Amino acid sequence: MAQVKKTLIVTRFDPDKDQTPRTQKYEISVEADAKVLDALNHIKDHVDPTLSHRWSCRMAVCGSCGMNVNGKPKLTCKDAVSNYGDVIEVAPLANFPVIKDLIIDLEGFMDKFKAVKPWIMVAKERAVEAGPVKQSPDELADFKQFSMCINCMLCYSACPVVSNEPDFLGPAAIALGHRYNQDTRDEGAGERNEIFRQDGGVFSCSYANECSEVCPKHVDPSAAIQQAKLNNVLDWAKSFVVQRGGK
Amino acid sequence: MSHARPRLDAMRPRTPGATRTADPRPPDAFPLGGNYGPYLLFGSCGAFLLLTSLILVEFVLALGGGQAKYDAFMTRIHGGAYQAYFWIALIGLIWFTVRFFGLFPKTQPFRFGPLKRPPDAVMLTGLLGAFAVLNIVVAVILGGVLG
Repeated sequence: MAQVKKTLIVTRFDPDKDQTPRTQKYEISVEADAKVLDALNHIKDHVDPTLSHRWSCRMAVCGSCGMNVNGKPKLTCKDAVSNYGDVIEVAPLANFPVIKDLIIDLEGFMDKFKAVKPWIMVAKERAVEAGPVKQSPDELADFKQFSMCINCMLCYSACPVVSNEPDFLGPAAIALGHRYNQDTRDEGAGERNEIFRQDGGVFSCSYANECSEVCPKHVDPSAAIQQAKLNNVLDWAKSFVVQRGGK
Repeated sequence: MSHARPRLDAMRPRTPGATRTADPRPPDAFPLGGNYGPYLLFGSCGAFLLLTSLILVEFVLALGGGQAKYDAFMTRIHGGAYQAYFWIALIGLIWFTVRFFGLFPKTQPFRFGPLKRPPDAVMLTGLLGAFAVLNIVVAVILGGVLG
């Protein structure tokens, strides 16, 4: 395979030495079909072992290697160096605190993730004798798209609301909460909708649609948020005529 | 790539961790690059909605205020500033509506009861078609062809 020369301008930050992030330039040769992650691994293995970045599966499944490439949030294992010119700028994802170099702090997201209760909630455990819960293909189709999220955080990095509103639950967390609300096995929609209606919930989204543009798995979180808004308005209106928790 | 940007608290953990972290940066293209520019413009078009609504309210008040007030209102809206505003508002509101309709289909649930959601292209064509017909009818009425 032919080699190509690339200049990578990589954001570096060492919490023990640096007050603020800085950039470092690396001139390397990589195979023409290399991904940006391959280029970073090449630097780590052959040029500068102090470079820190997250990665795992290398096949766009684990969601670990999200970074800003030339200013846009990308999964670096999926993003080829051939998509860019001779110079590629790699930075940590925007909107997140940086722990080291290209590694972001996910704790803030984990708080929001847990807040939407992303699990199936049932009022009463189903007896084993009752057999499996059946779900039709149509019912599955109502939420399958939203269950494809790999928590890569590209959507948070692209979202202008996340930049400005610290309490905003954010695209991935809301999409996941909506996914469970749409699941016919779940009975926790009322509880989740109360969380969605709080400050920083679904109504903080002003539908920039950036999250869906950058999503590498085509989850379309902005659609989930708008659908959740509609459901919440209906749920709220229904609460005047039906007791909460009633059907 | 400059990091001289305002400090943000977005996505910061509720309790600080053991490791000192660098402050988050806003998205590189924000606020005018990429899709952010049209997004802000879309929001800004809300001003046209508000101002045009106020003009309509003023029109209704003028209608109820007698012939003199109505004539004064009509004279005023035929002035240069109002005419310029109407043209800018017309362009803004058409662009706003087209973008809104473009974003609308996927906000709808995948099913309406037993019925599946129509394809996005069908919904979009229907909405834009209705918008075009409505505008033509209003233009024809205001142009004095009807009524």
